[in-house]
Amino acid sequence: MQPFAYARPATLADAFALLDEHGPDACLLAGGTDVVVGLRNRTLRPEMVIDLKQVAELQPAISEEGSWLTITATTALAGIDEDQRIHARFPALIEAAATVGSAQIRNRATLTGNICHASPAADTAPALLAYGARVNVASARGTRRVDLDEFFVGPGKTVLQRGELVTAIDLPIAAERRGAAFARITRRRGVDLATISICCVVESAGRTVLAYGAVGPRPFVVADESGLLADPAARDGAKDEVLRQLLTKASPISDVRGSREYREAMLLVMSRRALRASLERLRAA
Amino acid sequence: MSSTPIRVTVNGAEREVEVAPNTTLLDFLRDRLQLTGTKECCDLGECGACTVLLDGRAVNSCLMLAVEGDAREVTTIEGLSENGRPNALQDAFLAKGAVQCGFCIPGQVMAARYLLSRNPHPTLAEVREGLSGNLCRCGGYVQICEAVLAASEAGT
Amino acid sequence: MIGTSQPRAGGLARVTGRQQFIADINLDHALHVKLVHLDCGHARIVAIDTAAASEVYGVVAILTAADLPQPVPRFGPVHDDRPILAVGETKYHGQPVAAVAAETKEAAEAAAELVRVEYEALPGVYTVAAALDPAAPLVQEPGLRPDDPLRHSNVLRELNYGWGDVEAAKADLVVENSYAFPMVTHFAIEPHAFIAAPDDGGVVIWTATQNPFQTQRIIARVLGLPLARVRVIAPDPGGAFGGKQHPKYEPLVALLALRTGRPVRLLLTLEETFQEVRRTSCEIHVRTGFQADGTISFQDIQSDFLLGAYADVAERVITKANYLACGPYRVPDARITVRALLSHTTPSTAFRGFGTPQVSWAHESQLDDAARCLGLDRVDIRLRNLARKGEAFVPGDTPCDGDWAESVRKAAGAIEWGSPIAAGRGRGLAVAIKASATTGASYSIVRLHWDGSATVLAGTSDMGQGARTVLAQVAAHELGIPIDSIKVVMGDTAAVPFDLQTSASRSTVFMGQAVARACRDINAQLRQMAADLGLVANVSVVELLRARFSEVRGEVIGVGSYRSEHQPGHPLGGSPSFYEFSCTASEVEVDEGTGQILLVRHVTVADVGKALNPQHVEMQDEGAAVMGLGHTLMEHILLDDSGRIRNLGALDYRIPTTKDLPLEMFALVVENADGPGPYGSKGAGEGGLMATAPAVASAVTEATGVVIRDLPLTPERVWRAIQSRDL
Repeated sequence: MQPFAYARPATLADAFALLDEHGPDACLLAGGTDVVVGLRNRTLRPEMVIDLKQVAELQPAISEEGSWLTITATTALAGIDEDQRIHARFPALIEAAATVGSAQIRNRATLTGNICHASPAADTAPALLAYGARVNVASARGTRRVDLDEFFVGPGKTVLQRGELVTAIDLPIAAERRGAAFARITRRRGVDLATISICCVVESAGRTVLAYGAVGPRPFVVADESGLLADPAARDGAKDEVLRQLLTKASPISDVRGSREYREAMLLVMSRRALRASLERLRAA
Repeated sequence: MSSTPIRVTVNGAEREVEVAPNTTLLDFLRDRLQLTGTKECCDLGECGACTVLLDGRAVNSCLMLAVEGDAREVTTIEGLSENGRPNALQDAFLAKGAVQCGFCIPGQVMAARYLLSRNPHPTLAEVREGLSGNLCRCGGYVQICEAVLAASEAGT
Repeated sequence: MIGTSQPRAGGLARVTGRQQFIADINLDHALHVKLVHLDCGHARIVAIDTAAASEVYGVVAILTAADLPQPVPRFGPVHDDRPILAVGETKYHGQPVAAVAAETKEAAEAAAELVRVEYEALPGVYTVAAALDPAAPLVQEPGLRPDDPLRHSNVLRELNYGWGDVEAAKADLVVENSYAFPMVTHFAIEPHAFIAAPDDGGVVIWTATQNPFQTQRIIARVLGLPLARVRVIAPDPGGAFGGKQHPKYEPLVALLALRTGRPVRLLLTLEETFQEVRRTSCEIHVRTGFQADGTISFQDIQSDFLLGAYADVAERVITKANYLACGPYRVPDARITVRALLSHTTPSTAFRGFGTPQVSWAHESQLDDAARCLGLDRVDIRLRNLARKGEAFVPGDTPCDGDWAESVRKAAGAIEWGSPIAAGRGRGLAVAIKASATTGASYSIVRLHWDGSATVLAGTSDMGQGARTVLAQVAAHELGIPIDSIKVVMGDTAAVPFDLQTSASRSTVFMGQAVARACRDINAQLRQMAADLGLVANVSVVELLRARFSEVRGEVIGVGSYRSEHQPGHPLGGSPSFYEFSCTASEVEVDEGTGQILLVRHVTVADVGKALNPQHVEMQDEGAAVMGLGHTLMEHILLDDSGRIRNLGALDYRIPTTKDLPLEMFALVVENADGPGPYGSKGAGEGGLMATAPAVASAVTEATGVVIRDLPLTPERVWRAIQSRDL
């Protein structure tokens, strides 16, 4: 690793000051499971690494604020798995988070870090998108909220500007019943990056939301407002039509994990399966 | 480039040291403290050979900077045995033939230790899931899993 | 003692983290070495500028080819073709062009980054087709092999084996197919590492090698030193599988140590290790003739094996494996034509199985094809053709030395062959045969100390297979002393007598016999000692030693050896000392929507003669099976058009994890005491992965109807085959 300076600000204000001072020469560190790899490979060459784990306002926490569940930036994926409220209300997020690396990785990697790294294949992104997550962004100049759908710009790129960081991710606590399922294709059953990933949420009112990862430059979300996908009586052929239409938004590529052709085919196969699982869980709810 | 002072507890002993920020916890343990039981393999968090416990949680030490160990407790494989005597989990690894070349074993033992601390009576599927971050090229997974199950039965 | 699962010697140290692997060895004042290599396949080195790198504080030396003795020394286990550093061109992605030695790891890394190499990418040979193309660039300069008529091509060797007359052979069915086996790498969890230090007019090298005596020979030659002045210390490797069998950077670190007068330490990253070693890949084209009842009438095999830029031991791999390319069967007429091709890729080397996984992929898939065409059961067709004990299935050579049909029946029983099977599931069964060591020698010295304990000096490498335990068991049994009072010393050419190497599953047989003979030598001396002292013949060892050594201490030293001599004229240099025969049976379930394979049950049967340590044999066989599942389901090295490895490192080169295990796995043995090793043992440890691929592929075919002849059987490959089926 190249040499760099290291700071461990105790407050958000201190963190902002460092960010404003160093701009693109600084790198934020929370769980480190992406950042330290980048430092080792020298794809990241910061002058300054800002460790957020001592920032008083960002300590790991999951809290309910009105109709939102708020997950602070330094909350590790293991912490997500240990929260009963998330198990109860956002089970597909639990499923997605459980696929990120190993137990060792999940003890460190943060939910915020996973989305800020902005890999098109980020495993938690489809689940967060399908559940309608929003991102709390803050800087010395104030705060703003960004729907997660608008947060990703492209591979490795988010809307974060100089001086900004993410303080928390919010999930809307739904009033109505829903069924959700997360699924992905990998090259082996063991720990792996996703070839494609999918999260489906079917609302009892009939709306179906589908979010996808690893099949475009950013994770994306689509919705069927017609109610057809959620209709247990609808024919498979009709559902396929709707799915195909929704999937035109996907733009998979060929890489070492899979070919474009395979990914396209799996999008339909796995969408069907995720939809079926979501409907069963909705029925059971 | 300056060093950063940290106070880190390793295997129960508190140490005040200065470390360069661009040092991983793994390098710090192996090169600085001569605790070579923790191994270096992929350096990417994919193989688990570098697994240690950080405040009781299993982590890949290759993915942590040494400076992040400040005010934390680190347990390495050396910290599991008392006076060189293996604990029951380590004994189970030996008894079940889980040790072939042995290079992945410290990481496996630490990951198993963490698993059993969270889930004292795991099923085979839970053991496989819990150890899925530890690669063994000698292919000793069946015996490793059996060892963890045996240790859980013995109440470790 | 023999046949009991004694605890693994060295197990306690490993499980408590105290085992000293090579990277754990700390030498005072050692310099750290970092290699400089290019992000390119075949390339011409235009210029190397080390000025900026030399300025880095702590840098002590930087070597390029220009700084080495001229002409740059070349070495290899068979051909002296590999230069210590790249000369003029890089011949494969990762070949080092310079080496930096510095006081600290950080300084070495920083300096290595600052070495400026101006280079020009060149067209390269990366595939079989390219190697055979007469217009392709030559991987090796003709001057490297001056007496070789093929030196103006990329064909290193052409081999022809066979017997009878294939052209005249009659067959009711001819099955003709082409098969491919990909590049895969060893991925031992311990990356390669090399340490050297000047030592009293010579040099001492630490390397986790399976073959310290060859390393010693090569270093001695390169440095112009007598063997006695070159000491090689070989710590137990953290996994090797053949990848640590032949020298890589030992000559480089030896030179650096002598140049700087300091110990030097080179630890490769995992990525650098991947670039250093792999299995030989191949394309095999086979025509097999069958009678209507499934009897094999001929085998006509034409294969191209893609070596890397340097021959390493790959020619031997190809020779041994293709000598038995017909498999363990009775074949009246055979023609085997093989080409060993050079390429601008990682030099392939020994890898568990030594070419057998590749050839069995072809011959077993052929049998399955024939069985399907002829409407025969796939186990029956094998039982019909398997050689019987005593039968010379390779005319004039070591006959079949086991009851191979018993292994097949045992595997078939364990997989419940023939019983009803659920939809979407299938079963497969395959066999493989490997010739073990042909020539070679192992020596052992056993020292019986005056207190009745013993030290066994044996040059075998314990790389996970538990050789220490087994050899201690032999000594304990032969000497009649407790196993806890025996210490096995390995891995030091200064202390331990000559051993060929640890490979070919040879050590139980060769070193086991050497140890047994050394012990019997001791026992003969003890009998004489008792007679000289006028003691009764059945006096205990401890009492006898006390009587002899109470006034003047001493010890009883026994020497034993086991040699298999060179047979000029034999294609392998000598007859196989035994065959390692293995059978794998697998039951799978295929998810046709995604192509994913679930392994429901996986069985291996090894014909071991006598399992000296049953638990060790089971560990080896299950481990080999898991490794075999790797190349069967998920492993392949991907190159881009310019010969760079695309999936370099643990992130995108996938090996099996705990979650990739079959739901059930059994490792069974057949023990008929019919081996040449101690107590009727044979070798073991490679069989479990030799027939994995064809067994699983055959099961996939039964489950889905698709036949796949390329590996690995990734979900995508299976899915594509199913799409083609449904067209």
